[in-house]
Amino acid sequence: MAPIVKISNLDKYFGHLHVLKNISLEVPEREVVCLIGRSGSGKSTLLRCVNFLEEPSHGSIEVAGVKVTGEMKGAQRRQLIHDVRLKTGMVFQEFNLFPHMTVLENVIEGPVTVKGMDRKIAIELAEKNLESVGLIVKKDEYPMRLSGGQKQRVAIARALTMEPKVMLFDEPTSALDPELIGEVLNVMKKVAYEGMTMIVVTHEMGFAKEVADRVIVMGDGELIEDAKPEDLFSNPKDPRTKALIDRYRTDSGN
Amino acid sequence: MNLFNKGEAPKSQAELLYAAQLRKELQFKTNVAISWAVLLVIMVFLFSGQSVTIGTTTFKTIHIDTTFILKEIDFIAGGLTETIKISILSIFLAMALALLAALGRLSTFPPIYALSTFYVSLIRGTPLYLQIFFFFLALPQLGIILSGTLAGVLALGLNYGAYMSEIFRAGLASVGKGQREAAIALGMTPTQTMRRVVLPQALRFAIPPVGNEFIAMTKDSALVSATGFVHELMWRATKVGRAQFHNLEALIMAAIFYWTMTLALTYIQSIIEKRLSKGDR
Repeated sequence: MAPIVKISNLDKYFGHLHVLKNISLEVPEREVVCLIGRSGSGKSTLLRCVNFLEEPSHGSIEVAGVKVTGEMKGAQRRQLIHDVRLKTGMVFQEFNLFPHMTVLENVIEGPVTVKGMDRKIAIELAEKNLESVGLIVKKDEYPMRLSGGQKQRVAIARALTMEPKVMLFDEPTSALDPELIGEVLNVMKKVAYEGMTMIVVTHEMGFAKEVADRVIVMGDGELIEDAKPEDLFSNPKDPRTKALIDRYRTDSGN
Repeated sequence: MNLFNKGEAPKSQAELLYAAQLRKELQFKTNVAISWAVLLVIMVFLFSGQSVTIGTTTFKTIHIDTTFILKEIDFIAGGLTETIKISILSIFLAMALALLAALGRLSTFPPIYALSTFYVSLIRGTPLYLQIFFFFLALPQLGIILSGTLAGVLALGLNYGAYMSEIFRAGLASVGKGQREAAIALGMTPTQTMRRVVLPQALRFAIPPVGNEFIAMTKDSALVSATGFVHELMWRATKVGRAQFHNLEALIMAAIFYWTMTLALTYIQSIIEKRLSKGDR
């Protein structure tokens, strides 16, 4: 199957710091990929390069047939980046809901403002997605009145309502109280089982084990291991992967 | 506090402490209010024209000509509408300019950034009084003749706009990076991000301080009277005061009008602020 996300020879520098080193990665449609690694390994930066929240220093990115290469400049490049962003939905660690809009307004904002979708149609779509994340009853509340877990579920509904081809999750449960993590992971699981292509930066090894088709371990700006979760967790090859998994075992006590 | 256990269940230490603290605060506020009233009474007494004899010395308080006051109060009060009109027009002009200047400060395009800082520096570096005269007296030399009110509104608007640009800059800065990123990730253009996500939040942040500026402006609008052609409070007070040599009474009247207006506006502002602080943030 042709990959829906294709990252080729990607480099990223922050000043002199080389944070992503010549990364190439392909993600086929409907696949769920978990990116794990210690903090500072470059996993969030890699994810943020996919929808150009970070500008890659070199290399090309292709999402659902839209390809942006390093040589492209000016208006053409801006247009293609815009197209890539329409193909990707993003969920942030800090939710980033718009505090001045109700839950429903948050969710229809993208379709109405960006796509010019008819408000009524957008509301129908938004309500369907809010139903699916279990928060239709909160549609007229402001984000301030929601728990962290609820905010993140709204954020997922907001991203889904743009009808993206790929969903990007940047540590979606890291800012949550432990007892709220489950509800968000459950929604993500549901999205995965509905066939969405997902790239998930996470520390939740349990989620990676259960839901991911593929787990990629990053270290020092490189992909150091790329395997099916059952192989990776039972038989890690790189010592850094081993250390990461061991720490998870100690933390979760099994 | 639990309202259902009045006089029944014993109160916890924390509740007792909290109640004591509330009592103390209430006591303080009451005492302040009483002191205010006393100060007000003293002030009224000082202007009552009464003679007081303490021992052998007799003090005479300030005599106010009440017939003058009754005769001219309508004339002076007639300036209120002009004062309010100038203040409202100027605050809108100032808000527009302040927002533009604040956005200019965010620009990475040097001429725009420079224009914004140049404007703020020039206006803040010269007196408001001079600016009013510049519009009213200097521009006619270039063939541009403005009415006193228009000159005043332009000068006040420009002046307050420069000062208020800081407020709007802080408002824009109060909107976190995550908000912009969420908008961008949805595919919004920079203009849409600004209009739909950043500005609404920045403006909400800016409303209370803009209220303060508006209150300050109602008083600075008195400077416009210097043109001699704007019949607002101050102009009317000085006109009748000078003509009949009753400046004391005239200025006291104007002062009372300004003060009352300020108190009313402060009260309105506190209501708006309360509304904004609850609910949707």
